[in-house]
Amino acid sequence: MVHSEHLSKQFDADLEGLRSQVLQMGGLVESQILAAIEGFATGNRELIEQVINNEPRVNGYEVTIDGDCSHTIVKRQPAASDLRMIMAIGKTVTDLERIGDEAEKIARMSKQIHERDRLQVQRFGEIRHVGNIAVQMLRQALDAFARLDAVQAAQVVREDVTIDDEFRAIVRQLVTFMMEDPRTISSALEIVWIAKAIERIGDHAKNMAENVIYIVKGTDVRHTRFEDLEREAKS
Amino acid sequence: MSAIVEPARAEIATEGEKQPVLKAEVRGLSFHYGEVRALKDINMALHEKQVTALIGPSGCGKSTFLRCFNRMHDLYPGNRYEGDIIFHPDGLNLLGKEVDPIEVRMRISMVFQKPNPFPKSIFENVAYGLRVRGEGNRRRVEEKVEQALRGAALWDEVKDRLHQLAFNLSGGQQQRMCIARALATDPEILLFDEPTSALDPIATASIEELMNELKQKVTILIVTHNMQQAARVSDYTAYMYLGELIEFGVTDTLFIKPKMKQTEDYITGRFG
Amino acid sequence: MAATDLGRIRALIASHKRWDAAFAVLGFLALMVGVLTFVALFLDMTLKGLPRLSYEFFTNFPSRRAEHAGILSAWVGSTLVMVVTGLVAVPLGVATGVYLEEYAAKNWVTDVIEINITNLAGVPSIVYGLLALGLFVYQFGLGQSILSAGLTLALLILPVIIVATREAIRAIPQSIREAAYALGATKWQTVRDHILPYSSAGILTGMIIGLARAIGETAPIITIGALTFIAFLPPSPGSAEPPFLNFEWLTSPFTVMPIQMFNWTSRPEAAFQLNAAAAGFVLVFMTLAMNALAIWLRYRLRKNIKW
Repeated sequence: MVHSEHLSKQFDADLEGLRSQVLQMGGLVESQILAAIEGFATGNRELIEQVINNEPRVNGYEVTIDGDCSHTIVKRQPAASDLRMIMAIGKTVTDLERIGDEAEKIARMSKQIHERDRLQVQRFGEIRHVGNIAVQMLRQALDAFARLDAVQAAQVVREDVTIDDEFRAIVRQLVTFMMEDPRTISSALEIVWIAKAIERIGDHAKNMAENVIYIVKGTDVRHTRFEDLEREAKS
Repeated sequence: MSAIVEPARAEIATEGEKQPVLKAEVRGLSFHYGEVRALKDINMALHEKQVTALIGPSGCGKSTFLRCFNRMHDLYPGNRYEGDIIFHPDGLNLLGKEVDPIEVRMRISMVFQKPNPFPKSIFENVAYGLRVRGEGNRRRVEEKVEQALRGAALWDEVKDRLHQLAFNLSGGQQQRMCIARALATDPEILLFDEPTSALDPIATASIEELMNELKQKVTILIVTHNMQQAARVSDYTAYMYLGELIEFGVTDTLFIKPKMKQTEDYITGRFG
Repeated sequence: MAATDLGRIRALIASHKRWDAAFAVLGFLALMVGVLTFVALFLDMTLKGLPRLSYEFFTNFPSRRAEHAGILSAWVGSTLVMVVTGLVAVPLGVATGVYLEEYAAKNWVTDVIEINITNLAGVPSIVYGLLALGLFVYQFGLGQSILSAGLTLALLILPVIIVATREAIRAIPQSIREAAYALGATKWQTVRDHILPYSSAGILTGMIIGLARAIGETAPIITIGALTFIAFLPPSPGSAEPPFLNFEWLTSPFTVMPIQMFNWTSRPEAAFQLNAAAAGFVLVFMTLAMNALAIWLRYRLRKNIKW
């Protein structure tokens, strides 16, 4: 999709402003996830507090960007690709805000785990691994949004399967752990929640990717089979 | 938004509703003002009892195209049609040389951009089409005038002053009276040439509302330079540029996901 | 704005206003020349002629004795000639105007016709008289009659009526025509139901202006031989036995007001000058009355028109 200029330079500037704000929010959220996982793995108090303190900033982005979207709709009555862009930005921002929430949850739970200081269950490796996949998905989704690349977005959707598999693997392991030693149940459960949060991050990244395909192709690919989605993205 | 596993909405036939019926088909229509070729080989379908909008930048030929339907160009010298407009259900070619333009205008009415009431009473204005057709029976004329004024959502406002001058009405009322005048003769197609561009927003809204009701009885073809109006009132939209029909489709589809880049550029304001 | 600029601008405005005032005064003076001249002439004629007006003046025939002379044959003659002129000029003029505006194709032929018509208005009236003499009086054998006079004057004022008709028709916006045609009207229906009614004000005005001019035309009437001393009236159009209407009056000899005036003015006796002034007063009064009628009719007929 070529973004030639509107007759109204102000409109161009408004849209550009929206897109860059989305990318900034994405960058912030990405660093939140990384910090939260790092905080979980190392117990770094400062990192954990930083994530919790930054959460309002993420919410602030959501409010601002949604407000700007309303402003653009009222002023410009956008049609076609502009309309799809604005609709998709609204949804993407919701997904990013939820990701931010998940990152904060991870931080809070890490805080609880390390306060208890009972490091019986050490699943740092697997959590780091699945966390990286999630971050990678988010990065790719943001990149696909920036470059309006539907094919890359389709790949992000595919990756979600991987995260789901990894999540189920972690849960199986932890269940085995819990069955062997019931004293580990509390902390094991906490790790399950953290893994679940990461799995949700992956889902949100997948939603963002689907939005990108909507912007580019004009087709709503939510709730469709992957083969059809991929075909649509590549068409 | 349609999901991709269902048929795209452009092929409306399979929505489980009845097949769309065509009121007219335009085939290979070209039009010449003297030496200038104003319309180039247009092919389009006009669906019965639906509103079709013609949009496009100034000079794209949308008004010229509209006026072919009721042979208004015949009033001025030096104009020439090529191609056909087949009128259903009888298959009459509106542009045929053997077809009398007066006969065409008796079946297809027009509402103009600036309200143009005659300097007569409201009653005489609305009744004129009937008089032209030789309707002499006074009661029948009165009935049809009332019916037309009701159809144009104007009856309640003017029923007590039918014999006052039409000029005393407000702009919006005058335009609705012109619509009543066009309706009084039970036309099969109603042509609107930018009907609200001279009116304020409230009068505009009332006429758009009216079109929604009118389309239950008559096929409507409307030229508008206001894209949002086209999006609001029409079921089908045609985008024209420099005398050619660039894209035609269901309004929702054309405005959300147009097929042609030119259409996209126009409706997103990427060019005038 | 800086203070100095303001001062300069004020001086400029004051100077322009002076020119404004000067021009207003000059214009007013120019107007006064025309108005005062007319008022002076009219007052002079009124003062001389008004005392002479009486019932006898209107009902007496001309006589060698000034105090018994009257304008009966003159004003009856004028009226009858105007009737013929109007009946001939108006239908011809209106039909021509309508045809040129609504029916004729716009090509060089119609352009030539247009030019000819406008030029006709500038032909000296005595030339019409000569034409009438040769054509109506001798060629057609109509004689020196009211009919000839009426036809001549009709030709004279035909351009006035045609132009008035065309202007009135041109004033009708094209949107009205399109509305009528779009409802399925034929050209004739549009002309009958819209064009003629809406231009009637202009046409009537043109007709009255034309007649007001014709009533004062002397040269053509003299040329075709209106007599100057007529002591009888043309035969009455009505008659006692069927068919209750005759046309003998058309072929009768006659006289008109301007000629009667001219005749009296050329007599040496001062009393006849008074008669001429009185007749002049009546003539001017008739003309002014016709113009006033034209204005009033225009106002009444145009009440519904908004263009």
